[in-house]
Amino acid sequence: MSEPANPVAPEEPDGTMEHLDEMTCLLYAERQLDRARAQAVSAHAQDCAMCRTLLRALDRESRLLTRAMLEEDEPLPSRLAEFQERARKSFGWIWGLVLGLAATGVYALYTGYVEPLQQRLEQAGFGGTSLLSLLVFQGAFWKGWQSMMTLFEVLAMITVAGFGAVIFRRRLRRGSALALVLAGLCVALALPAPAGATEFHKGETYELAKDQTVHSDLFLTGARARIEGTVDGDVFFFGQSIDISGHIKGDAIVFAQSVRVSGQIDGNIRSATNNLNITGTVAKNVLTFNEVVNLDAAGKIGGSLTAMGQTVSVDGHLGRDLLDMGDETIISGTIDGDVHAKGNSMSIASTAQVGGPIRFEGDHPATVAAGAKLASPVQFTQMKKESQYEKGNYYVWRIIWTAAFVLFGLVLFLLLPKFASEVVNAGERVGAPIGLGVLVFFGVPIAAIIACITVVGIPLGILTLCLWFLVLNCAEIVVGTVVGNWILGKPADTWALIGRMAMGFVIVRIVYTPLAHVHVMGFLIGLGIWIWGMGAIALALYDRLTPVAAQSAMPGPMPPMSLPPNTTVGGIQPA
Amino acid sequence: MSVPGVTETTEAVARARAGDAEAWGQIYREMGPAIFRFCRRALPTREDAEDATMEIFSKLWEGKLSQYDETRSFSAWLYRVAANHCWDILRRRKIRQDKETEDIDNVPLEHPDPNQLDRLIEQKTSEEVRHALDKLGARARMALVLRYYSDMSYDEIADALGVRRAFVGVVLLRARHELRQALEGKSALAAGGTS
Repeated sequence: MSEPANPVAPEEPDGTMEHLDEMTCLLYAERQLDRARAQAVSAHAQDCAMCRTLLRALDRESRLLTRAMLEEDEPLPSRLAEFQERARKSFGWIWGLVLGLAATGVYALYTGYVEPLQQRLEQAGFGGTSLLSLLVFQGAFWKGWQSMMTLFEVLAMITVAGFGAVIFRRRLRRGSALALVLAGLCVALALPAPAGATEFHKGETYELAKDQTVHSDLFLTGARARIEGTVDGDVFFFGQSIDISGHIKGDAIVFAQSVRVSGQIDGNIRSATNNLNITGTVAKNVLTFNEVVNLDAAGKIGGSLTAMGQTVSVDGHLGRDLLDMGDETIISGTIDGDVHAKGNSMSIASTAQVGGPIRFEGDHPATVAAGAKLASPVQFTQMKKESQYEKGNYYVWRIIWTAAFVLFGLVLFLLLPKFASEVVNAGERVGAPIGLGVLVFFGVPIAAIIACITVVGIPLGILTLCLWFLVLNCAEIVVGTVVGNWILGKPADTWALIGRMAMGFVIVRIVYTPLAHVHVMGFLIGLGIWIWGMGAIALALYDRLTPVAAQSAMPGPMPPMSLPPNTTVGGIQPA
Repeated sequence: MSVPGVTETTEAVARARAGDAEAWGQIYREMGPAIFRFCRRALPTREDAEDATMEIFSKLWEGKLSQYDETRSFSAWLYRVAANHCWDILRRRKIRQDKETEDIDNVPLEHPDPNQLDRLIEQKTSEEVRHALDKLGARARMALVLRYYSDMSYDEIADALGVRRAFVGVVLLRARHELRQALEGKSALAAGGTS
């Protein structure tokens, strides 16, 4: 049955009026007739009481149906009311699980890597505060950061900032909220403590005469420097060679080819040099990356000596411990504390005196000359050449790290779902992100180091390096997500994207782990993953920051407007 | 198309699509009762309606919301989703009654007495109409719910029920006849819908 072609039959030959059929009346009441037919029905209804009554009845029937259906005769079932609460709670426990596992990952990081290194540094005299502050901030670049947070406090702050972003995103747009939190974090990190006046000198040579005094920190860049006078603060030197015969009341931070200390340093020495020769006095500790370190017979270090290099020779007096990771260790002087050394060989001369235990891990047992005064015999451990990949522990840590990275990716994707999607889309282009990734991977650290060398750009340089490192850790997550998308197809929503990320990341790890044994190939594959992922992130950022060019093509035809229902002509005439 | 009293939640939908859990809650609070009532009208039992409501919103959470076209009315789109879901349930259960066949559809309906119909409508209450709805066949009930609860157009009803647009009027008219028979206490399954 379909709509009647002619809603109103012509008058019968005997003069009786044909009535409207019910279907026509219904369509008229529902406003589904075209104008011509509706007008015909309307005209007929004005003259026919029976049809008019039918139209009215159908209209009332429609209203009754609508009223009956819309009436709220039943309350919402309690199960449905609880449904929303259960959905809320499901989000809650997921966050709890993420945080719990993230805390486990952080703990694993701390016990596996940070704590052993921190213990070593404590033995070298860096007791007390944080790894991060000791290596970077404490006494080295800023004064007054003694109370700098520990590494875990920094991680905790980042976590709190992440929570802040999650909370803020309900009130503010996510991008600006995140920018606000990160900007606050950057300001907090970048603000140095008031350091007072600082002298800067740049030139071929610099000389501080014996009767001269610098009443602040001293920054020097140049080929050669000679300090015979007094510096009340720290000395920073970036150059070829420096000769310190005067008195430095703070620390000496040196990046040079040759360093000679014949004077007095009341603080520490932190250096990366080719040769470090100490014939004077260093009141605190020495941390150095060198080819050759020589503590001369007249030399004295009040604290510990930590050296990573080729040859360490202790002929003078060392007040605390010796920590050496190098090729050759020669002890002929006095060491009041312990000796921990790892390398090829150790020689202890007859004039040597060591007050604490000596632990040596090397290829050959230490050579101890007769007459040497040792508190205890040398504890020798043969250095094992087994590959880390042969240890079961390695694979356990790989699993733990994989889970930690997946959780990291999950948090990132939940915090920045749209940007994550854009990054993954950028990664799928392959060519462009790899090209940009090469630039980012190599160029950004170089630029950051240059910024650090300018001294005034140190905060910016360090921040840039930190961000570069963060992006580096995100790179493998991006590549994993791209692989997941290739396997499972485009995701429908954020959680589907997270699932693909988890699956793809695990696959990348499983494929990469055995290949890592092959030295060159493993290195190249790892490098490729980092470059690809970093390039995808950089490309997505670039696309966001670059305004989209206006389309030059003519716009397509406008889609037809959807007419609201019941807009055809016609309608019910009042009874 | 909208149900009176149900407001659009465009902003909440946009936030929900971005993963905002609070926005999901807002959508559920605003649309949940209406969708439940829709399902209650369309499906035979209250328990079916509860299950269907939860399944519909679960579908949204699991990704269905990404298919929503923001240029159109959200409530209209959600009712379409609900209608399709309920219709799928009914078809899976194969509880369409025998008269919902091509043969039955071709049987002409008797023209009603307008005065008698008018009196019938005047006497019946909303509650009686709802009870009568429960006695209808699945397609008849669904057609009435789509038209008089969700205010869907004939095109949308045709799409939801899988019939030709020209046939929607027939479906609605037959449904009304069934409803009248149920209201009068007569069997709603008699072929031809005798009065």
